[in-house]
Amino acid sequence: MPTARTEVAPVTREETEPALAGFWRVVVLNDPVNLMSYVVLVFRKVFGFDEPTARRHMLEVHERGRSTVWTGVREKAEAYVFSLQQWHLTAVLEPDETH
Amino acid sequence: MKRIEVKLSLPVVAPLLDLIKQTVDDLGGRLAAPQQLQDLDEELRTAWKGELLGEQNEECRRFLAMFDREFFVSGTVAFDEANAESMLRACAAIRLRLRARELAELPDQVIEGGGTDVAQLGAAAQKAFMCYVFLATLQELIIQHLDSAILEG
Repeated sequence: MPTARTEVAPVTREETEPALAGFWRVVVLNDPVNLMSYVVLVFRKVFGFDEPTARRHMLEVHERGRSTVWTGVREKAEAYVFSLQQWHLTAVLEPDETH
Repeated sequence: MKRIEVKLSLPVVAPLLDLIKQTVDDLGGRLAAPQQLQDLDEELRTAWKGELLGEQNEECRRFLAMFDREFFVSGTVAFDEANAESMLRACAAIRLRLRARELAELPDQVIEGGGTDVAQLGAAAQKAFMCYVFLATLQELIIQHLDSAILEG
């Protein structure tokens, strides 16, 4: 009686990290149009920052041209960028290679 | 519901409304703040931009609707918890477009400081700058009186 022989081929699994994995930064860029009080309000509304934190980020945008307002997973970062863009702020996603 | 009524000077504001309307029309198919969306895949980018544009157009339409026949009788516009967010955003969108289209020649420092000598500008730029300042004033009033409603909304 023939016996069934099962040959198991070696499985090669490629561990490629998806390009979107890892941490991402939400960066707000300066524009000369939106009022400082408006930007502070948007930061408080979108991120729930207290007034001093929102003001600190607004001043960083104003003085340095950009501020990282949030860092975390891609999906949530996208949601924050979208919310900021609904308020007509210029916001971009950047990979955070420090994590 | 908290509500503020703003009495505007009809002789000052009425002549600005045609330029504001033109600017809204000009915005129709474009985002007021150009965004770098190339990092998104094409399908998501199209949906993303479409949603932003749809909201922008609707908010600008609601803003223009405040200046209706009744406004030309009373000179009054009203802001409350229900419309504060969209009015703020509409003003931001229109100001951004005014800056890009009508006030492009003014340096950023002048735009940011707001301290330009209006008399030095040409007639078209003067009118655009008055619209720009008028919209900023509305934004400041909304933020001053309705910020809690916006934050809690």
